[in-house]
Amino acid sequence: MSATAALPESQGGRVWARFRRHRLALAGAFVVALLMASALFAPAFAPQDPTLLDTALRFRPPFAEWAHPLGTDELGRDTLSRLLYGGRVSLTVGLVAMVTTVATGALIGITAGFLGGWIDMLLMRFVDTMLCFPQVFLLLVVAAFVPPTLLSISLIIGLSSWMEVSRIVRAEILHLKEQDFVAAARALGASRRRIMFRELLPNAAAPILVAATLKVASAVLMESYISYLGYGVQPPLASWGNMLTNAQGYFDTVPWLAILPGAAITLTVMGFNFLGDGLRDALDPRLRMDP
Amino acid sequence: MIGFVAWRLLQAIPLLIGVSLIGFGLMQLAPGGPLAVYTLNPTIQVQDIERIKVIFGLDQPVYVQYVKWASGLFSGNWGYTFFGGRPVLDVILERVPATLLLMGSALSVAIVLGLSIGVLGAVKRYSVFDVLATTGALFALSFPTFWFGLMAIFVFAIQLRWLPSGGMWELGDEGNILALLEHLVLPTLVLALVITATWSRYSRSAFLEVMQQDFMRTARAKGVPPAARLLRHAFPNAAKPLIALLGVELPFLFSGALVTETIFGWPGMGRLFVDALNMKEYPVLMGMMMFTAIFVVLGNLLADIAIAAIDPRVRLR
Amino acid sequence: MTIRISRRGILAGSATLLAAPTVRAQSINRDRIILAMTQEPVQFNPLLYVNAGTENVPEACLFDALWDVNDKGDFIPNLAVQVPSRQNGGISADGLTWTVNLKRDVKWSDGQPFTAKDVEFTYQTIMNPAVAVRSRSGFDLIKVFRVKDDHTIEMELSRPFVPFLWAWQNMHIVPQHILGREQNIQTAAFNSQPIGTGPFTLRSRTAGSHMVYERNPNYHRGPAKVRQFIHKFVPDQMAAYGQARTGEVDYFALAGVPNDRWTEARAFPDRDFLRYPSPNVQFIYFNCGKPQFSDPRVRKALTMATQMQKSIDDIYFGTWPRTLSYLQPTHWAYNSDLRDYTNDPAGAEKLLDEAGWRKGPDGIRAKDGVQLKFTMSTTAGNVARQGCQALFQQNWKAIGVEMEIRNMPASVVWGEYTTQSRFDTLLVAWDPTVGLDPDYTARCHSKMIPVKHRQGSNYVQYENAEVDRLLELGVTQTEQADRIATYKQIQAILHEEVPFAAQGGSVQGHLKRKQLQGPTPNQYVTDITWNVYDWAWA
Repeated sequence: MSATAALPESQGGRVWARFRRHRLALAGAFVVALLMASALFAPAFAPQDPTLLDTALRFRPPFAEWAHPLGTDELGRDTLSRLLYGGRVSLTVGLVAMVTTVATGALIGITAGFLGGWIDMLLMRFVDTMLCFPQVFLLLVVAAFVPPTLLSISLIIGLSSWMEVSRIVRAEILHLKEQDFVAAARALGASRRRIMFRELLPNAAAPILVAATLKVASAVLMESYISYLGYGVQPPLASWGNMLTNAQGYFDTVPWLAILPGAAITLTVMGFNFLGDGLRDALDPRLRMDP
Repeated sequence: MIGFVAWRLLQAIPLLIGVSLIGFGLMQLAPGGPLAVYTLNPTIQVQDIERIKVIFGLDQPVYVQYVKWASGLFSGNWGYTFFGGRPVLDVILERVPATLLLMGSALSVAIVLGLSIGVLGAVKRYSVFDVLATTGALFALSFPTFWFGLMAIFVFAIQLRWLPSGGMWELGDEGNILALLEHLVLPTLVLALVITATWSRYSRSAFLEVMQQDFMRTARAKGVPPAARLLRHAFPNAAKPLIALLGVELPFLFSGALVTETIFGWPGMGRLFVDALNMKEYPVLMGMMMFTAIFVVLGNLLADIAIAAIDPRVRLR
Repeated sequence: MTIRISRRGILAGSATLLAAPTVRAQSINRDRIILAMTQEPVQFNPLLYVNAGTENVPEACLFDALWDVNDKGDFIPNLAVQVPSRQNGGISADGLTWTVNLKRDVKWSDGQPFTAKDVEFTYQTIMNPAVAVRSRSGFDLIKVFRVKDDHTIEMELSRPFVPFLWAWQNMHIVPQHILGREQNIQTAAFNSQPIGTGPFTLRSRTAGSHMVYERNPNYHRGPAKVRQFIHKFVPDQMAAYGQARTGEVDYFALAGVPNDRWTEARAFPDRDFLRYPSPNVQFIYFNCGKPQFSDPRVRKALTMATQMQKSIDDIYFGTWPRTLSYLQPTHWAYNSDLRDYTNDPAGAEKLLDEAGWRKGPDGIRAKDGVQLKFTMSTTAGNVARQGCQALFQQNWKAIGVEMEIRNMPASVVWGEYTTQSRFDTLLVAWDPTVGLDPDYTARCHSKMIPVKHRQGSNYVQYENAEVDRLLELGVTQTEQADRIATYKQIQAILHEEVPFAAQGGSVQGHLKRKQLQGPTPNQYVTDITWNVYDWAWA
């Protein structure tokens, strides 16, 4: 598309056009879409039932035979099938938890940072209180009361790790709110809500997007930790996290059992990362591709 | 400023009380308890468990237990552990030096490294370095710490025999500082991996934002050299979210890192917490939560002061 | 003068530093022995112990009991001059009066003499309701405890109880002159600064890392052969195994070499691999109080369908012996006439049909509106047990039974979920209940059901009048031949009615340096340091 071609008229259209030019972002979006599709259509792609065990066939290496293209695990279950079905669990947890964390943290951070005063004090002391309880502790306690569905696990993980996001966003807002464009918006009579969400939020997008990427990875790994402790996904269901945990004893003899799920997580996180980069660049016209 | 600090410390009191109440409540509500550990002992019968329950004071109503514990707190008596009857304060404090050493080293290394990688990546966005650094950081975040720990032990301790595979001291030679440092290397590096990755991403993003702004272009036009541009112009503006991050991470200096400590057998707070959680050692759990609360208050207070110090436009309320 | 440090120099220097192997790790320090375990003892008062296996170490290093048991299963005297028996008059003819003569010239490590008063005090502490002693079993039968003189004690039991020997084997003697002064034994300083009569004294403890014991030169069985004994805690099993390989520790015991590394471990040139049987047997526990399991035929059918041997071969790599009762197959009272009827899904289906459990439209068997559907629980995070559960789940699915795995953290599943019989099934491993005596009253006598009688540990709620009668008989018989016959009968009934289905006896693989002499597997105790005073370097 030549630089002299006319830009689309709507803001949404302009954002999309900017996004499209960002190659890595497109690649990221593609990867994320691919992962979601494979999880959604797992039954179609999986060679066999992921819980079917046959110890005679265990520890087969990847690329050795057609029946098990990515090899088998310590109980003879097909790794590819487990990766696909496990993706359903891990991607759901990663996404829902990330959205919960980011939304909660951003909301609290923006409100506290912009409105200041008593609201800021109360909210920040609330954040302090939550920070006093180690994440593991919160997870274990709450998970014991809530029936362990995938959604509830994701929400619980999401609601136990937003504190860092809120503090970072608040710091960003404190910096932004003294700037001219905010004063201008106020002078124009914009409501507080409009200033918070139409003016400040897009400008604070950068750290929020970084947090989102990091939280996807940490949510997936946290899910495996609470499964290890007995909540969350129960065996023999697979998730990328618990595949990693089970591979712990074999890291030097059968390394691919850990490398494969880890690579899946890495791919997911990288996809989200570049997607986020593209989003940020598209939303903020001041950031150009060249430094 | 003094007023600000005093006001914040005043706020800390209801916070600590609230944390103790919520923590105690959550702990009691959570299923399981310290008696479960006795069941696996084959000589134990139910009547023994009942007897032990009374001795531990667990048959009393929850609020009675809380009041007993809380009133002891003010006189410096943080209670005795269920198993072993040791003073809780002793049990916690004896782990502090090891934790501070490990967490302090890891945080220092990680922040310096993370900042450098992040800044370099921001300055040369999408260069080979940046893409590699991004991939590396995300890779480091996608594998659990125990995996890196076990790999590190396998490669450096078992195969190459360069470094010891765990523990904190050379047994029988506890005064040897060089040995202590040798034991410190692997756990620090493994722990620093994740923190570095996090810091590199946040600092890259923070610096990217700042560098596109007009005042940076003005500085360049004025002929200010790049290093000075970074340090005196970019850094103070980019620092705020990073300082907030540091404030949030400060309590980790105290609470330690469970997985790393477990893999390397490092005698720190993280392990103490999880052992206490597994055995439902309530007195220790409560004690640690109170300590953490103090660090959290301190960490956020320092962060807020630092942010205001850097940017005069941000007013301390 | 300025010293120029060239970049090349630094690189060269660091390379050399990093390349030098830590020589310390390789060589043997003959002055001391380092034992590694994955768990840490939380306190050192032998009466309050919580963690079997790891707390046995301070117990054996610092204290003595009246008598021990060796690897052949014989009782050997320790603080007692001889083990009481009918032949030497230590036990009266009616089995009710026990007389024990104590060794003279035994001293506590603070110099005070050991006397019968210490034994009396130990007994009183065990019976003291304010002390969280792990068990009183056996001691609660003592009607009268007499101190005849400084070195003789006499005990009168309320009824004959042959396993009484095991009660004293398991309880180590504590000093009356120190603990007698304490208001509250639970919080006594003694618990972290112990004084005992044992082969070592505690020199230092670094929480979370290690404990250092120093030789007691006045030990009554002769001074130990090494000056220092170090107990090191390495929480991760793989890391501990690594340390045993590099030589950073001399002997890796608990939790043992991972099952799939045994072949590798056996091949190390300068290491010995010890196959360490423990008294532990792993079972599936069926809650007989639940409607699905009240019929013994159902329990037997379920057991018949499982592939027990395969689970041992595949998941435990064949390292465990298969057992069909609550005793390990090497135990003197084991019933070797029992036949293994597992791995027979056809027979299982037939038995279930006979018992009236027919397959419903969804493929799951049901009877009188109750489906054969249940959960199985064990400690979460135990990969091997999860593997067994996955296999059993598959075995049972094939015969129309649905099992759901529901694991929980240890502090939850072994709490009231087990002790108040709330579970459906459990996958659990236990030792026998009174030392290594075959008496199993606490676990299967009908008056020992916690939810009904508030005593005992019969969590499966099993009731059988004949088993009750045999259990009561077994503890009074003094001839071993008679006891063997009684317990064989008990095992046969349990094998038919299956309140708990035995899988295998657990075995650990320990790794030690070849030159370290002394550690000997002893299947009668959980204490790997049972003969630590004999350990030495060749």
